[in-house]
Amino acid sequence: MTDSPLPTLKTWSYLSTGARRRPSEYEVVSTGLHYHTLDQNRPWELDPNIPMAQWYKRYRNQSPLRHPDWDAFRDPDEMIYRTYNLVQDGQENYVYGLFDQFNERGHDQLLDLEWVRFLADAYTPSRYLFHALQLGSAYVHQMAPASTITNCATYATADHLRWVTHTAYRTRELANAFPGLGFAECERERWETDPRWQGFRELVEQALVAWDWAEAFTAFFLIVKPAVEEAVLNQLGELARAHGDTLLGLLTQAQTRDAERHRRWGVALVTMALEQPGNREVLTGWLGKWVPLAEAAVEEFCAGFPSDGRAAAQRAKHAMASFRGSLLLAASHLTQPNLDQ
Amino acid sequence: MALLKREDWYDLARTTSWTPSYVSEEVLFPEEMSGSRGIPMQVWETYDEPYKTSYPEYVSIQREKDAGTYSVKAALERAAFVDKADPGWVSTMIAHYGAIPLGEYLASIGEARMARFSKAPGNRNMAVFGMMDENRHTQLQLFFPHANIKRGRQWDWAHKALRTNEWAAVAARSLFDDITTARDAISTAIMLTFAFETGFTNMQFLGLAADAAETGDHTFASLISSIQTDESRHSQQGGPALKILIENGKQAEAQQLVDVAIWRSWKLFSVLTGPIMDYYTPVAGRKLSFKEFMLEWIVGQFERQLLDMGLEKPWYWDILMRDLDSTHHGMHLGVWFWRRTVWWNPAAGVTPEDREWLEAKYPGWNKNWGRCWDVITDNLLNGREALTHPETLPLICHMCNLPIACTPGDGWDGQDWPLEHAGRLYHFGSEVDRWCFEINPDQYKGHQTIVDRFLAGLILPPNLKGALKYMGLAPSEQGQDAHGYAWIEKFRAAKAAAA
Repeated sequence: MTDSPLPTLKTWSYLSTGARRRPSEYEVVSTGLHYHTLDQNRPWELDPNIPMAQWYKRYRNQSPLRHPDWDAFRDPDEMIYRTYNLVQDGQENYVYGLFDQFNERGHDQLLDLEWVRFLADAYTPSRYLFHALQLGSAYVHQMAPASTITNCATYATADHLRWVTHTAYRTRELANAFPGLGFAECERERWETDPRWQGFRELVEQALVAWDWAEAFTAFFLIVKPAVEEAVLNQLGELARAHGDTLLGLLTQAQTRDAERHRRWGVALVTMALEQPGNREVLTGWLGKWVPLAEAAVEEFCAGFPSDGRAAAQRAKHAMASFRGSLLLAASHLTQPNLDQ
Repeated sequence: MALLKREDWYDLARTTSWTPSYVSEEVLFPEEMSGSRGIPMQVWETYDEPYKTSYPEYVSIQREKDAGTYSVKAALERAAFVDKADPGWVSTMIAHYGAIPLGEYLASIGEARMARFSKAPGNRNMAVFGMMDENRHTQLQLFFPHANIKRGRQWDWAHKALRTNEWAAVAARSLFDDITTARDAISTAIMLTFAFETGFTNMQFLGLAADAAETGDHTFASLISSIQTDESRHSQQGGPALKILIENGKQAEAQQLVDVAIWRSWKLFSVLTGPIMDYYTPVAGRKLSFKEFMLEWIVGQFERQLLDMGLEKPWYWDILMRDLDSTHHGMHLGVWFWRRTVWWNPAAGVTPEDREWLEAKYPGWNKNWGRCWDVITDNLLNGREALTHPETLPLICHMCNLPIACTPGDGWDGQDWPLEHAGRLYHFGSEVDRWCFEINPDQYKGHQTIVDRFLAGLILPPNLKGALKYMGLAPSEQGQDAHGYAWIEKFRAAKAAAA
């Protein structure tokens, strides 16, 4: 450190890299906030060997997915808190507008009873699945090695609570319209025992105990969520439209906007990770571990569809593979082996 | 009605626990992260958060709040309040911004700990809003000071402070890490939300907002009072968790968590908030004294809440009552004396009018702290500025990481509270700090204070210059007297008049 006076700053010294570009509001409020990554052996200002210090040293600092500067990660959407609320308040106005209008026109009463029974089995228990995504995102939040990654997980956690909330809302509406079909009563039992959900339940229970931060990110954001989004949002949404359940089709479509945002930063993070030698093998190994479980979950879920379940599963798996392909594409300038299994 | 009411579906949104079978419940919720303390899952499912909100309400309300807060900033920016403000108030802002935003960000991890690992589904959902709130508080309290970055290097410390080994930053991390991120979900609910956010954030955000409004800083007042509206919601997560612990035979453990968190929070506030309220804020802007704020926001509130909850007042309550009159005066004296080691410019706050106010609020102040300030004032009046800087290191408490402060003058009560544990000698600033260590030595035993690091040869060269370098303080960042000693002129004039 010099004794001469320091120059006047235009932004945080942390961001003063000599570049002429003025940092965005996103960078000013989002970067370099995890002070506990600075001393890798002593994350907390406490005894360095307490259980929580060991947890962070083992599952964050010693992750096999390595990068010398995770703080360089940037969210391609540059989402910050105030824009998140602006965007999502608008999205929620749209969704609750749908709820309002479809209720006014007696949407649920017009549904076929067989379809309604199917919803009790295959739709309303999804709040447990969405809640598991909420838990998984909250874990990535607390373990990520950069605040710019944590922020993405923050907003994703809130998005998943949003999906839980939509499902709870529709569950109550369906329960009101169709008493006696188990709505608002039997979701937990179906989530725990109905064969169509067991693949997903196994998948999320396993993914929720993938303690390494990068494996948790990989499992949830690259595998589990795409599987859920393709099968439980997109394929179920398509099926709903075909059965006159326009509301569910539009709802899942609205939720997919969130998922698309999650995928954009997921791709960006993988691209950044692949800059480093050795990470491709680590990611490939994790994909090899989680993709089969996810594909099996999709197949079991779609097998419960009233018709064309196999084709729906194929479409979902194809879309998942296509997403994994986009990871490869995004990093294609960085070389080789196929990330897809 | 075409739309359902929130209460029609709210319970479903928080009925989300299931019985895992592909992994065990113990693996899914490891005790070190969850802290369920053997209380069964179905009992945790009875957790009932008193303040309920939902996702659509949250994004709508928060959007409106932000619109208001950012609008006030934009509207008042041209007035350039900072350029006209009393330097003591500018120091208040710089000290606050350095200590708080990254601590807020840390709190989002504490919230995420609950959101993932609490066995209470209501807690898990509310903590998601808590994560979001803390994200907001970080971003607001970085964006606002960033607008002042051209005004001086100390503003950089809003982002930088907690990333350094500056001693006050070490003390802040020591508290925040202990009650926010380094414990299980239920301990976090109690220590962070119940003990810290219920009372202490009121002090920092409402108490200081009152002073800000009195001082004319409406941007800062609007900012921090808006933040407190979030705190008052998510701080209510701890109460229902405490209730479950108490009803299931864990009262003593719950009491201990509360007691440790309140004491540790108090100590940090005695160095951060006490001097700000009683010395830096110009007399005309002081709505209440620090002690009065403490009595209203902390003492009164906790006494009510703890008893309502079925807990006792902390065993050290009488000690706290006594220390409300003294600790922060010693901390202030120390901060001003070692001013080169902080990132803000401490205001001495001891003009004749200040001293009159201090004596009125803290009878006996002149006979105790006033004696030290008499010497400092005399040295400054006689051109001996060098004598107003220290030549030694203070003794640092192994719990709060703050200097061991005591009352000087007639009320001299200097005392170290030592403890030998596993062959190492520790020093504490009070019997309560020592008690916090004794009941859980593993949490703290291997930590090194700044002085330990100095003695261990980690700070080189082993002198003030080396220490400042270790703390990340360049000359243009080091604290100076906020008013450039202008405050001594009134004493000089009085002396001349008397002669």
